[in-house]
Amino acid sequence: MPTTLPSGAPAKPTEADAGLLAFAQSAELAVHDLYSAAAGVSGFSDEQRALLRLFGANHLAYAQAIGGAIGKAATNRRDEGIYGAYRADMFTPVRAMAVLQDLENTLARTHTDLIGLLEAVGGAELAASIAMVEARHAATLALLREPGDVSGALSNPAASLAPGGAASPAADTTETTVAP
Amino acid sequence: MNRRDLIRLGTVTLTGAVVASACGAQANVESSSNIAAAGTVVPNDKLADEPVDDMVLLRTAASLEYSVAALYDAILGADGLLSGDYAPAAALLRRFRDDHLEHAGAVNGLVRAGGGTPWTKANPRIDDRYFVPALAEVTAEGNPDAALDAVTLALAAETLAGQTYQGAVGSLQSASLRAAAAGVGQDEARHAVVLAQLLNPGYAGVAPSTDENGRPTVASVPGTFGGLASVQVRLGNPGDNGAKRNFILETPSLNAYIYASMS
Repeated sequence: MPTTLPSGAPAKPTEADAGLLAFAQSAELAVHDLYSAAAGVSGFSDEQRALLRLFGANHLAYAQAIGGAIGKAATNRRDEGIYGAYRADMFTPVRAMAVLQDLENTLARTHTDLIGLLEAVGGAELAASIAMVEARHAATLALLREPGDVSGALSNPAASLAPGGAASPAADTTETTVAP
Repeated sequence: MNRRDLIRLGTVTLTGAVVASACGAQANVESSSNIAAAGTVVPNDKLADEPVDDMVLLRTAASLEYSVAALYDAILGADGLLSGDYAPAAALLRRFRDDHLEHAGAVNGLVRAGGGTPWTKANPRIDDRYFVPALAEVTAEGNPDAALDAVTLALAAETLAGQTYQGAVGSLQSASLRAAAAGVGQDEARHAVVLAQLLNPGYAGVAPSTDENGRPTVASVPGTFGGLASVQVRLGNPGDNGAKRNFILETPSLNAYIYASMS
């Protein structure tokens, strides 16, 4: 008998998974919109603006990938609770960069928690591939904001927004806005 | 069938017999399962006939943590290796080494909780195939980029570790263990960013790009999604054509797992 790999977990997202991933998608769209809002603020250098567009586009790609994974269960709408809570912070470059770093940490933590809740392997793999890069986003923003701030780059003090995770603004969410 | 057809058929049959005899066993020649080849053929060692369960994946992850920690100890122990622009890497690698040992302890805690036997040593195959020969290239006499190569190798090790955990998410049966793996993997990804920014600092080092020679540069965020492709790194003394030795690092797989029977 050859060496065997484990099996048994469903490959495609279950109905319960779809609800969790739909929430993740709405959070990704909210953060994408916040990056777009920040990119419109005056005072950013060209290279800062390029970074905002790059990271924002990544979040849109995450939302699209999640939408592809859950099909009709996708809302394709941003989480208004997240967007509304942080929109006002996208006002000055310094403040925006700090808040976006926090949001990257929050999303990374949220996806990690979701991985522990998802039944299907496919959704967990997707969430893991997203969380890995969001952790990179957060660490990169930390180092660019304060060069040499290794502790800021390595730590994630954020709370999770995942259902059952730490207290979050998700409870106040009303998903009504169609994402761009 | 006329006489001409019989002769033609006989010719075909005779030709077939000659070909068959050429392919078949020959007198005084030892039979072998190998196809014909010049020189000595490496024997085909079979992999362990064991299942790959969550404990095997976790023990393998712990082994990789020990391998990376040992790699950093070796870099730090090489006198004067981290110098010049890369002297700050010494403090980083000390910190990361401690992180990896902490990760190994945490992962072994999960192994213990799952009824497995913790693995408290480096991964022999990863060491033999990747880290030992790569470090030999880095520390080779006359290497003009020894410090740069040491940090580059550390970045490759962090990338490999992160990918190992990300890949494990797709193989682990327990959802809680998947989450734990994803969490540790992100720590490795953050290590990688710190080293990437040391090698290619500032905004210019965030996204993938190429240098003036068209070669890819180090990027803090090398892709939109976390990748699982092999990690390529060029190290050591440039050869006659100016190229360094290319190493291709793969995440642990069937031939590098720490199976239950291994101790």
